Amino acid sequence: MLKHDVVIVGAGLAGLRAAVELRKKGIDAVIVSKVYPTRSHSGAAQGGVNAAFDENDSWESHFFDTVKGSDYLGDQDAIEILTSEAPANILDLQRMGVVFNRNDKGGIAQRPFGGQSFPRSCYYADAVGHMMLHGLFDNVLKYKTKILYEYLVTSLVTDNGKVSGVVAYDIKNGKFEGIAAKAVLFATGGYGQVYSSNTNALINTGDGMAVSIKADVPLMDMEFVQFHPTTLKSTGILVTEGARGEGAYLLNSLGVRFMSKYAPKAMELAPRDVVARAEQTEINEGRGVDGAILLDVRHLGKERIMERLPQIMQLSIDFEGVNPIYEPIPIRPGAHYSMGGIKTDYNGRTVVEGYYSAGESACVSVHGANRLGGNSLLDTVVFGRRSGIDIAEYLKTAEERKFDESTVKRDEEVFEKLKKSSGKERHGLLKSELQEEMRADVGVFREENAMKKALDKINELKERAKNIGIDDKSKTFNTDIVEAFEFNNILLIAEVIARGAILRKESRGAHYRTDFPERDDENWLKHTLATLDGNGNIKFDFSEVAVTKFKPQPRTY
Amino acid sequence: MEFKVRAYRFNPEIDEKPYYKEYTVEDYPGMTVLNALIKVKSELDGTLSFRRSCRSAICGSCAMKINGISKLACKTQVSPEIEKFGIINVEPLANMPVVRDLIVDQEIFFDKIKEIKPYLLGQREDEAHNHFHVLKEGEKISQPVYYKPEFQNLTGNNDTPNCILCECCYSECGGVVGNPRYLGPAALAKLYRYSEDPRDNDKNGSRLVNGSKPDGMWDCVHCQSCEEFCPKGISPVKSIVKLHERTIKNSITFSAGSKHVVSIAKSIGETGRLDEIKVAFESGGISGLINDLPMAFGAGLKGKIPPLRLKLIKDMEDIRLAYKELDLEEK
Repeated sequence: MLKHDVVIVGAGLAGLRAAVELRKKGIDAVIVSKVYPTRSHSGAAQGGVNAAFDENDSWESHFFDTVKGSDYLGDQDAIEILTSEAPANILDLQRMGVVFNRNDKGGIAQRPFGGQSFPRSCYYADAVGHMMLHGLFDNVLKYKTKILYEYLVTSLVTDNGKVSGVVAYDIKNGKFEGIAAKAVLFATGGYGQVYSSNTNALINTGDGMAVSIKADVPLMDMEFVQFHPTTLKSTGILVTEGARGEGAYLLNSLGVRFMSKYAPKAMELAPRDVVARAEQTEINEGRGVDGAILLDVRHLGKERIMERLPQIMQLSIDFEGVNPIYEPIPIRPGAHYSMGGIKTDYNGRTVVEGYYSAGESACVSVHGANRLGGNSLLDTVVFGRRSGIDIAEYLKTAEERKFDESTVKRDEEVFEKLKKSSGKERHGLLKSELQEEMRADVGVFREENAMKKALDKINELKERAKNIGIDDKSKTFNTDIVEAFEFNNILLIAEVIARGAILRKESRGAHYRTDFPERDDENWLKHTLATLDGNGNIKFDFSEVAVTKFKPQPRTY
Repeated sequence: MEFKVRAYRFNPEIDEKPYYKEYTVEDYPGMTVLNALIKVKSELDGTLSFRRSCRSAICGSCAMKINGISKLACKTQVSPEIEKFGIINVEPLANMPVVRDLIVDQEIFFDKIKEIKPYLLGQREDEAHNHFHVLKEGEKISQPVYYKPEFQNLTGNNDTPNCILCECCYSECGGVVGNPRYLGPAALAKLYRYSEDPRDNDKNGSRLVNGSKPDGMWDCVHCQSCEEFCPKGISPVKSIVKLHERTIKNSITFSAGSKHVVSIAKSIGETGRLDEIKVAFESGGISGLINDLPMAFGAGLKGKIPPLRLKLIKDMEDIRLAYKELDLEEK
């Protein structure tokens, strides 16, 4: 068994940022990640990270934009922290070696982003996530952090309501390992693989969320799934909002900039929920182009495209066969981001003492019902840092606790049993069925009967999942069994999403019910909290939204 | 259309030696090699092991040899490969030990990244005084100023920050083949990126000194493979050449490689000719000369003997002018 003061699970931006904070103070923190840190999906973030720097901008304006963007479901005390700490966090990153494009005054250049009333998205071409991830990784190396990579965390272990560590599966040699700790941070990212057309990496299977709910930690607002308006038609690969920030148009089959109908003021730079719905409406009403919408950047000119959007140019050529300098890019909405997640406060604390979460796996909530572009990278560094600071404080008084080693044996047996199964179901195929069902019936537009159909499918898949067979019986790098574990996680998460979406009888942000098209503040200005009962069934509870400065208003753009 | 995937297979638990296994896959327009491998794994054979994550050429997980060349499987289309080779032959990357099937042990690669200290050393004054500062109501924050030219290397002209550490260059590197301890292109490009950073405060030049040690920048054999095979269009070798220039300009010339360069420049600057004996002596010292003796003897037997005294060449004045223009005189 291993023993450390802090275990950080996940090595994307939030995990690395927390690690830097802890290691800087000399704290014994270990990073555990199922992939090598630089493979984390934070690196795929393209467009920008928001902070109010300009003299004509203010963090208060960023604060309000984020509250409005969240459709008033975001907790305003947390959003205040997010936006007022934003500039310092960006400068902190720059001090650590992260590079941002420059403006003429020698400061950090900023571009407009959806739902923001001022150009405040700092960027490095269209690869800012990559830049930040590698910059933070380099700093984790600087502070000589121990990294257990290609370890899959299978359980959270607690002792009398306090966290006592995790159980991890060493993918490289098939050994289970208990890692005892006084504090555990989950920075495990999202669950994009629940949906068929998504922008996410294949590793984004909601593992941390699934492990948490199984350890009686509530998941909050899981019905809010962000669909990104611009993902490549054939692959779902992300095309940054920065393209529209630089001035790209969205066109339907008639060549019309249809956003004038849906968001006459903000046009293409309306928030993502608004744009995604507009696109889907155009497609559904027959004004799509082969089931897609066109993203046109041609008028920006070759030079600007190559300087500001080199990655999306290359991605369009490599994955869609379209050179955006000469042709518009076929795009459509795709599952992108999880507004919901492990319920935390603004210091990353969950309901379990010593157990923290930050980044996309957490729900603080700063994004409420709809996240604004450029706020997720900000979320990772602000709350990754704050979690690190809070954990350091917590360790000063944290008492010793017992790590129940039988949990290691228990998880090992689950895997052994799975390996021995002679079942005929293939998890790879079940996954495709689940993803397709979720896209069709719990997607951009939702309706009770369709979602009940999705639940039936989920129940069917749960039954069939009992007969999953594993081809690979070996211990060395058995990715077959890892994928089976991941499939069970997305299946559980899909059910939480679908049940939450059926429960919430209103339309708010990214959650749009055709049978309840209005926002209902009287009954639904509240967070949903999902937990499992003794039989493993999902049950719901509710909690208050923190409304401090801005009373809910109608949300138009 | 159906096509064949021929995969390198090796599981140390059961296989004595590697073998190849063929799978038949149905093609569709736009199918990538990664799509094909996922199809094989989920439908035909769950034991086929490979790394993959983002499927959009930014995470670097799925680097492997495809029809003999190190590439990202997610970025490689099936149809042109089939047109050219008639098959999709997949093998693990070279220059790293195989863990299983298409998976290599990356520890060596990342150890070399760690070795070059890939982070800013010290801080610029105005940055160091800039403490973390949470804004109060109505408050603004001032930021340190870096003008574009200063940052140009990192935001435009220089491509090194775009490296995704996928290991393709390392797998194709001729230098690593000759010397497995050689740092390799990705690590050296990263070293260059930090040595150029205007925020770096590496006062005693320790970064360049460390990079000049044996197995460092002077072990590059200039085969250009890293540039040729980089899936992100980066040229690590250009960074390495710039590192060479920088170290010599900073008079960090303790390594045999840099002495070699300086000596060649001197010899040509003096006589317009390459004084091979002198260069051998100046680069490697007496022991270097002795090491070279068998080779020199062999060459002598074939009639290849360098002249003991070099005459000035006719166009010496041109060389002096060129040196002046290149600002090489005193070096």
